[in-house]
Amino acid sequence: MIIVDKLCYSSKLRYMNAEEKFAFSIITLLICVISRSLICALFLLLAMGILTVKIAGTPLRYYRKLMLIPLTFLILSTIAIVINFSHTPLDAFAIPVGSIYITGSWQGILKATQLIATAMAAVSCLYFLSLTTPMTDILEVLRKCHCPLIFLELMLLIYRFLFVLLDIADAINISQHSRLGNKDLKTAYHSFSNMVSVLFVRSIKKSNALFDAMESRCYDGTIRVLSQNYPPRKKEIILMVLFDLFLIILIIGGKLI
Amino acid sequence: MNTKEQRIVAISAAFAVAYGIIPGVSAMHIMEGYLPVSFCIAWGVLCVPFLIAGFFSIKKKLQENRRSLILLAMAGAFVFVLSSLKIPSVTGSCSHMTGTGLGAILFGPSAVSILGLIVLIFQAILLAHGGLTTLGANTFSMAIAGPLLTFAIFKLCEKAKVNRKVSVFLAASLGDLLTYCVTAFQLALAYPSEAGGVAASFGKFLGVFAPTQLPLAIIEGILTVIIIIGLESFARPELKTIGYLKEGEA
Repeated sequence: MIIVDKLCYSSKLRYMNAEEKFAFSIITLLICVISRSLICALFLLLAMGILTVKIAGTPLRYYRKLMLIPLTFLILSTIAIVINFSHTPLDAFAIPVGSIYITGSWQGILKATQLIATAMAAVSCLYFLSLTTPMTDILEVLRKCHCPLIFLELMLLIYRFLFVLLDIADAINISQHSRLGNKDLKTAYHSFSNMVSVLFVRSIKKSNALFDAMESRCYDGTIRVLSQNYPPRKKEIILMVLFDLFLIILIIGGKLI
Repeated sequence: MNTKEQRIVAISAAFAVAYGIIPGVSAMHIMEGYLPVSFCIAWGVLCVPFLIAGFFSIKKKLQENRRSLILLAMAGAFVFVLSSLKIPSVTGSCSHMTGTGLGAILFGPSAVSILGLIVLIFQAILLAHGGLTTLGANTFSMAIAGPLLTFAIFKLCEKAKVNRKVSVFLAASLGDLLTYCVTAFQLALAYPSEAGGVAASFGKFLGVFAPTQLPLAIIEGILTVIIIIGLESFARPELKTIGYLKEGEA
């Protein structure tokens, strides 16, 4: 149902120590976002792509599709950054419209390129984490970081309920489709709203039933699960540290040139 | 054509072009890595008091009744699923609701702040909508500002005895619009225009996202109204469990 969730369970890096993966992707992400260096971003985009597709074994066609998800936002907001409305033309381009110019400067274009590269590289870092680490492992890492317990409990339950509700929504959607529930826009709106209403009623019913079931099995506010422990490997840690050091050197080198 | 007319033509042409290249419309999450670090931290810090308030309100609810933890979790999942479902749209592209407006009307703004944060984390990791570094900014616009306004309008209309349908429509769509304005403002603060500064930049971001967000706000309003009508007609007992309807109301 949720494609990222499906893919991460079949990833080849699924059984690597989760804290390692978490720390690696977050630190790399931070380096990328803080430095905003073009070279670093391009290198990261390539390296994270190779890591996710070749080493973690995510199918390339899915990876490509996933990388395109934030594209709408990227295109629209970059347009807003590059284009200016001004009475005086800037140096890169200027299209006169009446008394004002639709105009942009080279500096703005350079900044926008840098921004696109950084954002895409950051997304690739995020994907490295989400395509190799199942949500339950990420929750385990957060628990070790001393996240508030109620918060974690809520996250765990929400994660479980997502799939329950998505299943119901999907079933309703199929039956609506097979009964011409989307034949025109008005019907479609009604079908959608009815689906949401039914989804709400079902979710309340389910949650009540679930609480009764858990209560009768001695639920006291926390679900305790045994965490599978995959010890961190020295080799992997060294490689990751080297990778990040290389990134920093690349950034400093790029600034000097 | 005089200057003003020319300007209008140019702007509408820009809208048309923007509409042409948009593959899908979703609620306006700021993508991963798009904001400079200082802004990420600042917006994150701004969220903290609201989140703490939400956290304590949830804690209090749990002490009263432990069943509400499951109910809250279901509410969170409901908001997530609502925001991931494709809604029917005129152009055939896929759009999504924000969902937090309905959440705020049903569950109250303090619970929605925490639920919204969790939903945004899931959206970032599972759907790549938004991101971890921009979590603070997104939380502020989607889980705090929007729901608060929605709830305020809803309550005000209730006090002023406005028709339920009208008040739900206003609350949901204006909350959506505020989310969009706050996001545009966040982007404008981070990327002030070379000509005209923050204000000009704010206008640009508002303009660029307008063709997707304005219809979406209206659609969200209409859908929320139909959903609430549906709920009030056949889910009264459930609405009582979450405290949306008072016990006395039949």
